[in-house]
Amino acid sequence: MTMLPDPVPGARKLGLVIDLDTCVGCHACAVSCKEWNSGGKLGPLTDYDKQGPEPDGVWLNRVHSYEVGGEGCSRTVNLPRSCLHCEDALCVTVCPTGASYKRAEDGIVLIDPEICIGCKLCSWACPYGAREFDEEEGVMRKCTLCVDRIYDRTLPEAEREPACVAACPTRARHFGDLADPESQVSRLVAARGGRNLLEDLGYRPTNKYLPARQATIPVAPREAASGADEGFGSALLRLLDRALSR
Amino acid sequence: MRPAASILLLTTLTGFAFGLLAWIGAYATLGLLPAMPLLGVTGVALGLLLASLGLAASMLHLGRMERAWRAFSQWRSSWLSREGVCAILIYPLAILLAVALHVGHGGLAVRLLGAAVVVASLATVLCTAMIYASLKPIRQWHNSHTAPGYLIHAVFSGALLFALLHTVLTGRPGSTDLIAAATAAVALIAKCAYWRHVDAQKPLASLAAAIGLPKDAQVKPLDAPHFTENYVLREMGFAIARRHAGRLRRIALCLAFGLPLGLTLLASLSIAPLAVTAAALACAVIGLLTERWLFFAEATQVAALYYGRRT
Repeated sequence: MTMLPDPVPGARKLGLVIDLDTCVGCHACAVSCKEWNSGGKLGPLTDYDKQGPEPDGVWLNRVHSYEVGGEGCSRTVNLPRSCLHCEDALCVTVCPTGASYKRAEDGIVLIDPEICIGCKLCSWACPYGAREFDEEEGVMRKCTLCVDRIYDRTLPEAEREPACVAACPTRARHFGDLADPESQVSRLVAARGGRNLLEDLGYRPTNKYLPARQATIPVAPREAASGADEGFGSALLRLLDRALSR
Repeated sequence: MRPAASILLLTTLTGFAFGLLAWIGAYATLGLLPAMPLLGVTGVALGLLLASLGLAASMLHLGRMERAWRAFSQWRSSWLSREGVCAILIYPLAILLAVALHVGHGGLAVRLLGAAVVVASLATVLCTAMIYASLKPIRQWHNSHTAPGYLIHAVFSGALLFALLHTVLTGRPGSTDLIAAATAAVALIAKCAYWRHVDAQKPLASLAAAIGLPKDAQVKPLDAPHFTENYVLREMGFAIARRHAGRLRRIALCLAFGLPLGLTLLASLSIAPLAVTAAALACAVIGLLTERWLFFAEATQVAALYYGRRT
């Protein structure tokens, strides 16, 4: 059913907290996501023109790099972009078939590939560009928060986390219950001022992004010898400069 | 947004179809049809044929056509589902109306069925419009102009088709030509108002807000996640040059509304009514397809921001 679920008291809100301060933009999360979801229970994750000049394919996680700040020293901010499992998920309510749904028990937004008719409307409703259409299967794809890993009791408990989180070499990705104020992810969000992407659009995403810390690198003023333009010495230097510049 | 041929055909053809059915229903309700049952029956048949063609075209848009029936299930939340339900409801109502007109049961049955066809036809067009108007990330669609615009276009294109049908079947122009001219004028004004509105809109969000920074932070894209186009860019990063858009807007205004307005006025003065009404319809078909193409091509989706594209 594509109505959003009524809030269940005590229900979890599973999601990711991504630290933009430590993300180095290595794409390990994106590649690991692609690998897991190509071979896992919800695969395949189609590729087109793999060896050709225009390779393309379905990815559930994409890593962008931006240059932020103009004055003085700008910095690079890397932004991994995937489904944010929004609380007001328009992608769910526009779905005509019930294929797109949000789970009441943990807030994960999923697509049932057996029901999806591939009308693509959900992707139009998502301002984060998180849904990608699989041309070969004829259905929409999106991040599942590795629902087939995090609940898999055959895995050791430490491995029951999304593939992207497990792969991150700088521990910039954190997975947990954002409904529980005492969880590690909630404490991180509180301590570091975790933010929503596109806050004003009102989708109330579950995933949060920790802003890059305000690092200011002191830039020393350009060296200028005091009284450089005065005196015999500088006149001599100017003469020398002119002679050498010829 | 990428203008997909299947959706352009769907929305344009169903505009003509449900517009025509709405006019036939209205005429039936007002008791103007029993005098000319052939017009009513032919009109219903033509309307249902065009609607079926449009709905068939929309099937081509689906990745899994064989599952299309599932789209009727989520009418409680989805405008696309509501559109499907309303469109299917029209068939029995319109067929019953045609039967009632043919059998000659004037009076209450025809009037009630006529009113039901009007309501169902306009409701379907409204559902179609709301699919677009409800999409928050697309500022050119998510506004108060979209739903009235779709309704006006359907009422106009239906009136034009109705006028041609009337002239073909009766051999003379009627009130229908004047109605077509009047609705053309309203549609022209509505389209101009829509373009004024979207041209004055500001982008919904900045790239800075998209990556969670204060709105006024200076941000520019450094590296994209991939070198080639992907689904998001193909579908939502479609961009049309402003120069082309301007020219196409003028073409659309002339062909869709301007020429049909003039031609139907000529027809109502009995100047070669059949030829000019047919010409008006031909212009309107091309013009409305152009207008619908622009409705998609000029629409921008917020997700394109992440790639540094204009929204």
